[in-house]
Parts: sequence; structure tokens; C-alpha cells
Amino acid sequence: MDQQKWEKILTDETTRRRPAFFGRPHWTRRNFFQVMGAGIAGSFLAQEAKAEVCSAQSVTTVNKAENVIFILLSGAPSHVDTFDFKMTNGVTPATAAPATINGVLWPTGILPKLGNMTSDFAVLRSVRSHALVHSLAQTWAQIGRNPAGALGNIAPNIGSIVALEKASQRRPSDILPTFLALNSGGALGPGYLDSQYAPFKVNAGAALPNTANGFGQARWQEALTQMHAVDDVLRIDSPLGKAAEDMDGFYESAKSLMYNPAVNQVFTVVAADSQRYGNNAFGNACLVAKQALTANAGARFVQITLGGWDMHTNIYTGAQNIFTNGKILDDGLSALLSDLKGAGLLDKTLVVAVGEFGRTPQITAAAGRDHYANQFAFMAGGGVKGGRVIGQTNATGASITDFGWSRNREINVEDIEASIYSALGINWTNVCYNDPFKRGFEYVPNSPQDYWGPIDEVFK
Amino acid sequence: MGNLVHNETTGNRMTKYLVSTVCLAAVFSPIYAQDVPVSSASPDELAVSHAECSFFGPQRERFLPNANRRTRLGDTTIKVMAMMAAPAASTGDSGNAASGSIPSLPGGSRSYGRPTPNTSDNLIDKEIFRVLQQKGVVPAEKTNDYEFIRRVTLDLTGRIPTVERLQSFVADTDPNKRANLVDELLGKSEWVDKWTMFYGDMYKSAANQPSAGLNRFPQGRDAFNAWIRNSLSSGKGYDQMARELIASKVTPGNTTFNFSQGELNWIFNGRVTNVRLVQDDYDQMAANTAETFLGLAHANCLLCHNGRGHLDTLSFWGANTSRSTLWGLSAFYARTALQSPSAGTNLNYWYPVDNPAGNYLLNTTTGNRPTRAPLPSGNTVTPSYPFSGKGPQSGETYREALAREVTSDFQFARASVNYLWAEFFGRGIVDPPNQFDPDRLDPANPPPAPWTLQPSHPELLNALAKSFIDSGYDIKALMRLITTSDTYQLSSRYDPAKWNPDWEPLFARKLVRRLWGEEVTDALALSSNIPTTFNQRDSAGGAPTWAMQTAEPQQEAAFQQAFLIGNRDDQPRSDTGNIQQALAMMNDATVMGKVNPAAAVAAQGIVAKSLALSNDDAVTNLYLNILSRYPTDTEKKSAVAFLSTGNRNQKGQELAWSLYNQVDFIFNY
Repeated sequence: MDQQKWEKILTDETTRRRPAFFGRPHWTRRNFFQVMGAGIAGSFLAQEAKAEVCSAQSVTTVNKAENVIFILLSGAPSHVDTFDFKMTNGVTPATAAPATINGVLWPTGILPKLGNMTSDFAVLRSVRSHALVHSLAQTWAQIGRNPAGALGNIAPNIGSIVALEKASQRRPSDILPTFLALNSGGALGPGYLDSQYAPFKVNAGAALPNTANGFGQARWQEALTQMHAVDDVLRIDSPLGKAAEDMDGFYESAKSLMYNPAVNQVFTVVAADSQRYGNNAFGNACLVAKQALTANAGARFVQITLGGWDMHTNIYTGAQNIFTNGKILDDGLSALLSDLKGAGLLDKTLVVAVGEFGRTPQITAAAGRDHYANQFAFMAGGGVKGGRVIGQTNATGASITDFGWSRNREINVEDIEASIYSALGINWTNVCYNDPFKRGFEYVPNSPQDYWGPIDEVFK
Repeated sequence: MGNLVHNETTGNRMTKYLVSTVCLAAVFSPIYAQDVPVSSASPDELAVSHAECSFFGPQRERFLPNANRRTRLGDTTIKVMAMMAAPAASTGDSGNAASGSIPSLPGGSRSYGRPTPNTSDNLIDKEIFRVLQQKGVVPAEKTNDYEFIRRVTLDLTGRIPTVERLQSFVADTDPNKRANLVDELLGKSEWVDKWTMFYGDMYKSAANQPSAGLNRFPQGRDAFNAWIRNSLSSGKGYDQMARELIASKVTPGNTTFNFSQGELNWIFNGRVTNVRLVQDDYDQMAANTAETFLGLAHANCLLCHNGRGHLDTLSFWGANTSRSTLWGLSAFYARTALQSPSAGTNLNYWYPVDNPAGNYLLNTTTGNRPTRAPLPSGNTVTPSYPFSGKGPQSGETYREALAREVTSDFQFARASVNYLWAEFFGRGIVDPPNQFDPDRLDPANPPPAPWTLQPSHPELLNALAKSFIDSGYDIKALMRLITTSDTYQLSSRYDPAKWNPDWEPLFARKLVRRLWGEEVTDALALSSNIPTTFNQRDSAGGAPTWAMQTAEPQQEAAFQQAFLIGNRDDQPRSDTGNIQQALAMMNDATVMGKVNPAAAVAAQGIVAKSLALSNDDAVTNLYLNILSRYPTDTEKKSAVAFLSTGNRNQKGQELAWSLYNQVDFIFNY
């Protein structure tokens, strides 16, 4: 480590003037009314005085995506059985049914539907994970940096950064939180950012609970009006502090979710649709993600988690194996891409699917695969050129033979993070000095030095 | 293509970046770097399974709210609270849900002024107000009686006060009434309920921990809870609690093991997976010991790799500590075997056994943690407590030796005190409280620049730890010291235009705390006089009356889940807010059932009882029961007008609902 630089930062920490605002922008109901006129609910309208605390390099963003669907394949899927398929005689079952599609060896027995739409997505094969511990690497993938690094403990989920960046674009009709987390109870939160940028966690498949009141709508509104009449002195510019103001913000958001047919339409799944998406929890999450985006109601970043990939034993024959989980992914993801395309949204929606790492090319004594740094990433829509494979691995999938992109090194989750920001038109080199330690929070770590950055090749 | 780790080419390339940027070391360094000798096995061949480093994942956010509960710099209109204006004169024989009358209040008992270093003999106040004065920061005023009794009753017992106690407390003219109240609360069974839940969270007393593949069964959990309850209610010293958790043996004649001897259950948090290496268990037990009893979450990192390149910006101690040092800690568990006499059946007893021989061996290439290769000194690690260098003495088991070393370490007292301090104040003196840096604690021996001392109040932390030790590690004595301090009794109210978030670590005001899910549930039941029914057993094995008595956070209760009660496995309890909490408070049956109860219990409910009174008294009664205070003049006028038009019964329900949805119901302020 560069001791001089390190000392300078530590010294600056104590001498740097604190920024003109901290965390919470002025998004109280009062400000909202001033901006928008009274009577409209919508607590996600916020303006960050970013210029005061952030600096960035001059970059050109891809800026073609308006939305992102980020699918975390938790447990770490085997790359050599899916998107970097390798046929190993005596190991890979014939039922994997490899076939060459557009010059790419594809496991049509595992991912049949996606095999029919390879022109719609890109596969990245020169990706490597930093860590082989599930929780560490999953956290790494969601915050795009080392969780044990200096700001790892306060780093926001990528979706929270997107929510912050897109806050100024919210309209009064935007009733959904910008950041939805479906089937993602363990999704990382907003870190040091304001709680309004937190993921809204919902288990897909059932209507959103508690969106109607037992009094009926008219009496509920009457009671609510009474509450605000006396309680706003504690809720707005609260003498009790930020936590009380935040709670008021959550009430504002909650209200906009109640008695709203559009909300029910987003979160309720119709049986026939659910069937098309595979009739399971992941499929329902993909369906709800699509419904949330077609509703055009404020949701811009949707995180979905599909677990069950940690196949240490009997990867081809276990109760939950590469075929069963592959089918869940194939059904849900293919239906999602088709529907987004049909709705004219795929061009505006970046879909990313990535595990926290890959699995050993060698089959183990337990007929499974253990943890391995080489992995794949899947990207579609939002400006991504489909029908592409970026990077190549050797015959076994054990090592990278061609990085396949201009930086000529392995792709890390930080590069994927930068690509997400670039696709959305967000300057990924932003450094904001409003973090609690005043060290300077880099959207993508070390991007100001141009180490990690967008994988431009997937967009060209 | 190079490997991620142990690859010369990759390493050199990355080194270029290391010199140009600050945070890269932590990012780029080998994840699996071992101590001195580098493994001959390629790390890519390393089979790593099910490693669950509790420092990451949702656990990472366990203490995040503390760092995140920041207020903006205010530049807005000053809001002066009119709350707690003197109530109207006595309303005579009006009633409340429980007792039947609302007496008048004595005047002049509500303003306590602004404390200074000289107004208190409490060691906490001496230091807190000295620093505030030195920095020229004006603290909040001391809180009034209504706020104090609600605050301290919630903090110590998890309940809101009853209206009778609220009124008798305010009317009490004894100058020691706050200290007397604290003593009263510390003696209540509710105190045991709440802190059994707290320590149950800390020790992970769960029937089942799916992420760790660990099943204690309800019997094991109940025994664990019973041990916590008994320890708390008998006033057992915290050092003794730690010794029992770390070193207890099966009592001769006990044939149901951890199902009847609760303290045996803690050690199983270190049993990480089914297919495993014993060294992984030893390491996890050591990591749990370090985090739980020493506040050293970073020990877990160091049990995989040296600190340099990983903890450089986080911990001066960690950055200079090697993996082998922590192996010395793990080696204390090297003779601990976790045994089950009924393995393979559905019902497992578990118990730890102390083998007479056995060592921590450096001979692994698989498992949860990186390769353990022999050191120059050999392939056997000798137990050595990292902070004293001492090992087992003759006549004691390895675990007994560790328990002795841990509980005689000053850091044990410091960490234990700080965990409790953080619970009462919303942030630790070292914060987050599980990330102590042992080499940045001593004000007489500060770390070299650019490092600074880690605690916000180093002398106070040491004084508190010393006081804790001198009291015989008495938890109640520590809580008494805290809750009777002026610092704890500062108001949470502060002019938002004048508050500077940098004053938060100075404890210049009391930070508000969103109630636990159990506290919200119980406050609803207590204030409405409509009990809640629970599916779970309580922590003593019976049927719970209160949510705080349930054996573990209720996973099936959606209402409580909205309040992020955690699962004692991979989801920690959290006090952050979210949209679901607002939806739940407005609409969930748990709330609606209190304001519009089932016919069978409607008559006993707060709404029916209040509506039996005049509108004036009905409003006062609702405020006293639900918010533990009188309405302000403005509130009263507004509420009485609300109640005076339309269907009175419906308006009564709506008024009660509106009070449950005020922010001063959901927060301890």
C-alpha cells in the first residue's frame, strides 16, 4: 500500500469540511408539495445536491437502458454445465443434449428455451470471482466491491445507487419504489445512503399484503387525516431526528401503494402467465418484474434471487440438480426476455444474471462440483448486442484463454457494476464525499483510475 | 490466465495498482493467503464448501443502522415542539381502561434543565459532559417524566408503562424517583423476558439454523433459553455466564445433554456443516468466541488469512496480525468434540466432550477455509491466547483455559459493556460494537499516526469496564449506572436546524429507537387491553402471553416480521424502518384487531372503555394508554372535535388508530 496516499486520506478525513448536506435530501411532504402542488402522494421524488459532494471523471455512458433486472444466482451455478458448457465424456450426462447453436456449444437439455433465443443475449465467459465464500461473494456482487474493504461495511446495494441517481426523474405517478427486491430477503440494503433508497422486499406470487384497510377506504383516509393533523410536527423536520422523518416517508410510500389497482396488477400473478414462466417462485418473480416495468410506475431496478445452485453432491442426479434448477432458470428467464421484447421494453431494460462464483471443472468424489473462481455472466437488453460470447475458456473451463475485451484482463463484478451504471447513463466514476468516514465513496471502486470500468464490448 | 491468488504474474500486475490507490489492498489481495508457507496446492483446486463467514451477507448490516442513523444538516425552519404542555386541570372522576380515574398532575416536575459535568456524580456523565463542554457542544435538555418512564420502561422491560404507574411516577415528589423506578423495573419478570430475548439473539438460541445446517430442536432451544433466564434472574455474573457457555461439561447423570443443560447449546454455533473438517469447527468456535465475548468480528477474517492486505484500513491490530496467531485461539477448541449419542435418528441430543489429547493440526487442503500447511515450527498449533500468549495450565481442560483467559481479559469487560451501551444509546462507544480494534483503545498508549484512538470516549469505556468488573460483572448494576445517568436521560428532541450529525458520537442527545417487533406487539396489547395470541411456546416452555416471551423471533408472524425481528440464523434483528412497517401499522389485523376488536372482547378494549367517558376524557384516556402522555392542547382540541361529529363509535376507533400511527408510538424517544 502507498503509505503517503494512505496517510493523506486519513489526515484529510479529519480536516475535510463536511459536505453541505448529509444523506437525506429534502424530500419531506412539505417540499414535495412545494414542487408538485398539493394532493399528490409520491415520496420518492427527491433531488440530491450531488454536485456539492461528488466529483467524477469525464466519461461517455452507453445510456440506452432505463431499467435493470439483476438476477443473483445464489449458491453459485456451475458455469461448465450452463453458459460456458463443456461436454466431459463420462461425466456430463447425454441428456444435457449439447448442440451447436450459432457456433456455440449449448446444453439444449438444460437450457432449451434460452438456446432458441441466443440472438437476444450475450454471454460473458472471462469472468472471475474474487472470493469463494458464498456470503462474502454474494455481498461482493450486490455492492460491487469488497465487503471487507474500507467502505465495504457502509456500501449500498447497486440498486440503491440507481435509486439515488434516478430519484430526480420520478414523477407523481410513480407509486412503486425505484428499487424492488423480489424473493430476495437477504438483499443488501442502502448502506450509508438514505433509507428511501432501500430495496422494497417482496416475495412474488401473492398480492402485496396490507394494501387495504379494515375501516374501508373513506374511514381510513379520515383517520389518516386526523393523524397527520396533529402528528406532522413530529414527522416533518422532526425534533426527534431523521428516523422519525424516515418513518413518515415510508408512510407516504405505503399510502401510494394502497387502494391502487395498478399495484395489485403488478404484484398479482395470473395462473396462465405464471404457468408460462414455469409456475414457481422464480418464474413469478420474473413475471412480477416484467409487470412492474410494463406498469411504468417508478420501479427501475429489480433484483431477483434464484438460489439452490450450491451443488456439491450429485449435481446431475440430486434432488435439486443442474437439470431441475436449469429448467427453473430457463423457463423464467426466457419468458421474461420474450415478454419484455413483446412489450418493446427489452431495448430499454438491461437484464443481468450472475452467480457469486463458478464451480470446479472437475467432478468431485461426491459427484458434485465445489467452489471455483471462474464463472459466467449473462447480459441482455438495454443496449446489449445479443448473439455474442465475450471471452473464452479452455477445454475444461478451468482457465481463461481469451479475455475477449479491450481491457484484456478477466472480468470482475466491479466491471459488471460499471456496465450497469453506464447502460443507465450513470457516470460510474462518481466519487461522493458524503460517506460517514468522508473517505470518498466511489460508485465503482478504482474506476477514477480507470481500472474497473464498463465492458463496452457487450454494447458494440 | 492467472489464478486469482498465489500467482506471481497476477500479483505483480495488481501491485501496480496497489501503489496508486488506497483501498485496493483490501480488494486485490489474495483471498486465500495463508500464513508463512504458501500452499503447494493451486487454490483453484481447493475444494471450499459452505463457508459462512458471519461477517458478510445480511449479518454485515447488523449494526449498520447505528452508523446510518444520521440527521441531515438542518437549514430548515425551526420546529418548536408544543408537546408536553401542562395538561388541563383535573377532570375529576373520569376513568381509564385499567383503573378508573385520571388524577391531576403536580406542577413543576417536568423541566430538569441542561446537565453539566458538575450536576452528576455518575461516571458516565462526568466524561460525556466534560467532552461536550470541551467541544462547545450544547446537549439536549434532560427529558421530562413522561418521556423518561416510557423510555426506561421500554428499554429495560420491553413494555410501555401502565397508566397507573405513569401517573404515580409523575406525581411522586421523591427526588430519587427515577433511580427508584429503575430499581423497580430491574426487579420485574418483564426485565428477564426482554433480556432473555436480547441474549437469545446474541447467542443465537434457535431451534433451527438452516444456513448453518444446525438443528437444536425446540427442546435444545428451550433449555438454552431457560439457562439464559435463570442466569439473568439469579443475577449470575456475566463472566460466569461466559465461562459456562465456553467451557461447560455435561453434568454427571445428565442423559438428555443439551436438552436439559442449556449452556451446552452455545458451543454448537461453531458446528458449521455436516461434511466437515474438525479444524473448521475449531475456527468457527474461536470466531464466535471472539465476536461474542471480545467484540472482535475481524477474528473470523484472520482465521482465513493474514490481516495485511485485508484489514489495513479497518483495524491496526488486524492489519498486523497473522492467521497463525488466531490459530492459537482456535487451538483451545482442539480437544472439543461435538458428540451425539443418537446420530442418525430424527431427534438428536448433542453434547461437547473434552478429549484428554488431541491438537490443532495444520494438514488440510479442503473444507471451509483455505489450506492449512505446516509452519516452520511444525504442523501442530499450541493453544495460545492472542492477547496474553498464555495457554492451558495443568488441571484444566483446554476450554476451561480459554474461558479463564477470555474472562480475565479486560477486553471481555469492555466488549460486554459496549454491546449493552449500544443497545441503550443506539450506538456504541466503539461502533459498530463487534468491530473493536484492540490496538486503538488505550488512551495512555495511542496508536501511531495516522491512526487515532477508536472509542469516542476511551476513558469512559475503560471506566465502565472497570466498574463492570468491580461489580462482579453485574448486568443489572451496569444497566442501573446507564439508565440513572443524565446522559441516558437527555431528551431525544433537538432543534433540527441546529443539530449537527457529527454530535451523534458525543451522545449530545438521546437517539430514538424504533421499537422491536415484539415491543410493538406488546405495546398494542397492553394499551388496548386486547391480548394477542401466539403460535409459539414461550422461552420457558409455556404458552406466551406477551410477544417478548416467545422462545425465539416469531417467523410465522408477518406483522412482527415486517419489523425485521431476525431469525437468529442468517438474518439479524434490525431497527431500520421500511414501507412494510407503515403498511402493517395502518392495516394489519394485529392493529385493526385492537381498535376494532372481535365482539367477544370489544367491551374490555380501550376504545369501548374510553367512549364510555365524555369526549374530553375519552381523548385523554386514549393518549395516556396508547402514547403514555397527555395530549397537548392542540391535540386535545383536534381530537375532541374529531370525536364530536359523525358516528361516535367509529370515530373512537379511528382516533385510537390515529394514535397508534403517530411516530411517538412506534419509537422509543
